[in-house]
Amino acid sequence: MTLTLAGVGYRYAGASQAALLDVDLELRAGEVVGLAGASESGKTTLCLVAAGLAPRAIGGLLRGRIAIDGADIDTWPMHRLSQQVGIGFQSPANQLSQVAVTAFEEVAFGPMNLALPRDEVLGRTWGALETLGIVGLAERDPRRLSGGQQQLLAIAGLLAMRPAHLVLDEPTAQLDPQGTRLVTDALARLATDGASILVAEQKADVLAALTSRTVVLAAGRVVLTGATEDVLRDPRLPELGVTPPAAVRMRHAMRGGGVDAGLLDEALTGA
Amino acid sequence: MARSDRLTEAAAGRGLPDFLGRPGPTAYHRLNPLTKATIATTSAVAAVALGGLIGPAVLLAVAVIAPAIAARVLRDLARTSVLLALPIAISALVVNLFFYPEGQTELFRIGPVVATAEGLRFALEILARIMAISGAVTLFYLTTHSSDLVIDLERRGISSRVAFVANASVQTVPAMVERAGQITDAQRARGLDTEGSVWRRLRGIVPIVGPVILGSIAEVEERTMALEARGFTRPGRRTLLWAPADRLAESLVRWALLVGVVALIVVRVTGILP
Amino acid sequence: MRCGAGASTRDFWTRHLPVPELSLEGVVHVYRGGVRALDGVDLRIGAGERVAMVGQNGSGKSTLLRHLNGLLRPTAGRVVIDGTDMLRRHVAELAAIVGVVFQDPDRQIFAGSVIEECRFGPRNLGRSRGVLAESVEEALAHTGLTGQEARNPYDLGHSRRKLLALASVLAMRTPILVLDEPTTGQDRAGAERVRSIIDSVAAAGRTVIAVTHDMELAAEHFERVVVMRSGSVILDGPPGEVLDEAHREHLSSTNLEPPLAAQLATRLGVRGTVTESGLVAALRSSAASQ
Repeated sequence: MTLTLAGVGYRYAGASQAALLDVDLELRAGEVVGLAGASESGKTTLCLVAAGLAPRAIGGLLRGRIAIDGADIDTWPMHRLSQQVGIGFQSPANQLSQVAVTAFEEVAFGPMNLALPRDEVLGRTWGALETLGIVGLAERDPRRLSGGQQQLLAIAGLLAMRPAHLVLDEPTAQLDPQGTRLVTDALARLATDGASILVAEQKADVLAALTSRTVVLAAGRVVLTGATEDVLRDPRLPELGVTPPAAVRMRHAMRGGGVDAGLLDEALTGA
Repeated sequence: MARSDRLTEAAAGRGLPDFLGRPGPTAYHRLNPLTKATIATTSAVAAVALGGLIGPAVLLAVAVIAPAIAARVLRDLARTSVLLALPIAISALVVNLFFYPEGQTELFRIGPVVATAEGLRFALEILARIMAISGAVTLFYLTTHSSDLVIDLERRGISSRVAFVANASVQTVPAMVERAGQITDAQRARGLDTEGSVWRRLRGIVPIVGPVILGSIAEVEERTMALEARGFTRPGRRTLLWAPADRLAESLVRWALLVGVVALIVVRVTGILP
Repeated sequence: MRCGAGASTRDFWTRHLPVPELSLEGVVHVYRGGVRALDGVDLRIGAGERVAMVGQNGSGKSTLLRHLNGLLRPTAGRVVIDGTDMLRRHVAELAAIVGVVFQDPDRQIFAGSVIEECRFGPRNLGRSRGVLAESVEEALAHTGLTGQEARNPYDLGHSRRKLLALASVLAMRTPILVLDEPTTGQDRAGAERVRSIIDSVAAAGRTVIAVTHDMELAAEHFERVVVMRSGSVILDGPPGEVLDEAHREHLSSTNLEPPLAAQLATRLGVRGTVTESGLVAALRSSAASQ
């Protein structure tokens, strides 16, 4: 499944300025694409637009064309779209349905809403729990899980909808290092299994670990795009409000200090 | 660990997990939630409708204490329902003991105020009713998960949306309480006085209630989107993975209780019985 | 005594009460329900120190933080500020000495405008009109929010709301500043501001305490790192020491990893430094000496 945005612009209801301008983006099957940019650069807006929540759930004005495998999606209702594109948010706890007593029921929430036959619901739920590696949490109260575990639960809940594409808006923003590692590892496994993911992140290290291609936004426009490796080494990153990964910063610091950056490469690959 | 092995096995089998449905520890717990709800409501209504002291007292024993013993929750029940009823009970006791209009037989006197035997009897009648009602409600609360009742009602036909609201409201409360606690901490850290005079504490309402509401509104928007992303807006019914069991016998008992309590009301209202 | 645009940063920060010493003596905290979150913590924080508290969730960091301004009182032991037991003072009084900025700005912000939010703290402390206006103006300047005074905080993005929360406590001009996860969820520009504010506040002699899991922040901007695990302090010292390879096991026992610079330093055989600049300098001098 290919999700295409062509010349897409979006203005929030009641806003005087557009939050997105003239965005072209293609998300192909099996790709993990990164989305970077300063806060308020349009990352969240782009995620909401790609998932169809903007304008369906929040109003606002959408321009341009969004298509799935060539077919325009503007007439698709939200529940149909949610089976094509799943969207995850920053806050782990806010994504809980608040009606599930166990993690299992939390993940089953989506398929249950779709009125699928019971066996199908059970199959998808167990499958999603297995894919994220959280079968062991099935019986637990979702509210008592750690932030990282709740994020995994949220992603499992999305996978149970069997979307062709996942859009994740800064999934590790509110997590501690342990939670970040938990989520990043799970996403890396998904990526190896051929999942299609668009992940917005402030943490460049996470982008470096997960994505093959990265798009950088500034003031609602795409300003930089290319292979993640190249994008994260671009000298314009700091002025675009993106902190380069620690290794890249170290390299710049070493070069600036007149130290051979080859030492860095040795140290990173060796030992 | 044995537990995780069992879960992995269950996952492989793609079957209904055994922890769904949470069978209760006693036979009373395992009654259908609607049955337990009916018992609670009809007991409470009957407690009001029955006259005198003997009626409510017997009701208390039969419809509250006996099942509580069977469900092994008597101690918790006593503690919780007493706490629940205490404020009303105390005021009812004091008011009626000393100020019962038809009081004549003096028991004792505190200054100008006289405690009467008739007042005491009336107070006890009220007390018995209060205990019966709070006991019935508490018994239900202690032996039933509210979400089980909602699932049962959804199976019987109430709309999925209504069921969702009912279930979500229950879970929202502790989250809101925690949230209010964090907000209070942050405001106190900026000098909001919650330990001083009443007036100062009243002034603290806006900085605490404000963010609870504002933040909740902001949160609600995100929550709503997350729900929509999981098919919540799809019209029509949804699949239920399980529902509490019901038996013909229980259904008959529910009807019998309803009929019984209606008959009791009729009988009392029309004055057939005192 | 109005501060003009030309006044130095140092002037702003030095107009404060004498900075008191803060210490925890054998502090134990057991929550209702029996969870023993603090298990006998002894910690002395002198005037003007820069202390980073690190450790995983559940290590007791948050509990300890709430003891610093009296929001929580010890079950056993005591917290002493300026020689007096904190128990003697209400939280509202302690707020004038220890300013705490919590992690989530949305669990604090209630005013309809940036400036009203900022005025809340100093107003509670009874500052006079002139001092209040001055301190709010300066706090907004330091957090880069000048010009946003009339805006609704919820029109600002999350990062700037976090800075607003920080500004509202800076405006209180407390001699001790405590920050709860100041860089988490913060974008690049915001994190830069936070770092420079930490440096300015400390440079003026005030105490800065940060609870954080940003190991780079701890290494680069603090002179003392306190590592917690299961309610106790397991390591306490300068970053160069605490984040050194020798303590790797201790750190990973509480799910912490030294910052990249420290790890590289180890791999390259450089001891005694855990910061980017320190490593570069050490490598330069070793290259020069060859």
